[in-house]
Amino acid sequence: MSAPAEPVVPSPSGPSDHNVVEQGKFWIYIQIAMLLAVITGLELVTVYLPFLKWLLVTVLVVLSTVKFMFVIFYFMHLRWDKAFCTILFFIGLVLAGGTMWALLQLFGADASKPLSSAMAEAPAALVQAA
Amino acid sequence: MSTAAATIDHHHDASTSTGIPNKKLLMWAFLASDCMFFGCLISTHLIYRLHPPPGTLPAKQVFSIELTSFSTFILLMSSLMMALAVNAIQKGNLKSLRWSLLTTILFGCIFLGCQVYEFREFVFVKHLTITNSILGTTFFTLTGTHGLHVLIGVIWLSSMLIYSFTGRLSEKDAIDVESMGLYWHFVDIVWIVIFTAVYLLEYL
Repeated sequence: MSAPAEPVVPSPSGPSDHNVVEQGKFWIYIQIAMLLAVITGLELVTVYLPFLKWLLVTVLVVLSTVKFMFVIFYFMHLRWDKAFCTILFFIGLVLAGGTMWALLQLFGADASKPLSSAMAEAPAALVQAA
Repeated sequence: MSTAAATIDHHHDASTSTGIPNKKLLMWAFLASDCMFFGCLISTHLIYRLHPPPGTLPAKQVFSIELTSFSTFILLMSSLMMALAVNAIQKGNLKSLRWSLLTTILFGCIFLGCQVYEFREFVFVKHLTITNSILGTTFFTLTGTHGLHVLIGVIWLSSMLIYSFTGRLSEKDAIDVESMGLYWHFVDIVWIVIFTAVYLLEYL
């Protein structure tokens, strides 16, 4: 909860340093937006490349993660904010990622295959076995 | 640039025990919880994609990668304009803030227009509805929820734009614009994940 209003204090590094950072942000944002557009283009090209699927999936995941990190650390200011904001957000992110991983592992197992899908695949498997 | 800009530190607040403005802390906590919400929706889509029931229409035949890529580019550019809007209010530049907000709203509306067009095509041309297949159910629920977030963001941005004309919005209220910006960027990062996990993976 907020304490009674106090005078605004300058950053520990001093007002002049703070101003230089604020002025420089404009060009940082422009450069990052261009970079994000280029990465999106690369992602599009990647899906049409004739390489192994696991390699392409890895490349796509890495490129998306790079985009994700640039947005949260620069556009969302995590780079300049207190570390607690990063920790708080990453708690949610890790929980979400962990849940996704666990669900995909659980439902990716053969035992969890829906009966309708398993039955549809059965004749094809029998033909292959024969 | 106003003189106050030289003294206000927009990233730290000495009046709170955490050193973080309360509104910003609240927004980060909300976004962390929203991560889990979207994580579950994306997982559900991916799980049903693992074992599609017989007769399911291949998603590659339904999706339009050109339209989705355009939407992605538009949303990325809207994020840039939102970042510039926050930068403008932190410098006390109301004129720049208004233009940046207006452009962000415009890009948000274009994104929503693309989504409405995409949904219309899926339902009326490709006959994929929310009830006739699992792909339809998970796809429309996930992208529809994201679209709803974008719509809420557009309404919030529009309210802020109107409020900026009342003369009551100044540099010391930068935290309000920044909190709104955090929300808007979050909508963007969710789309970054959806674009890869839902659309691009279908083309491999």
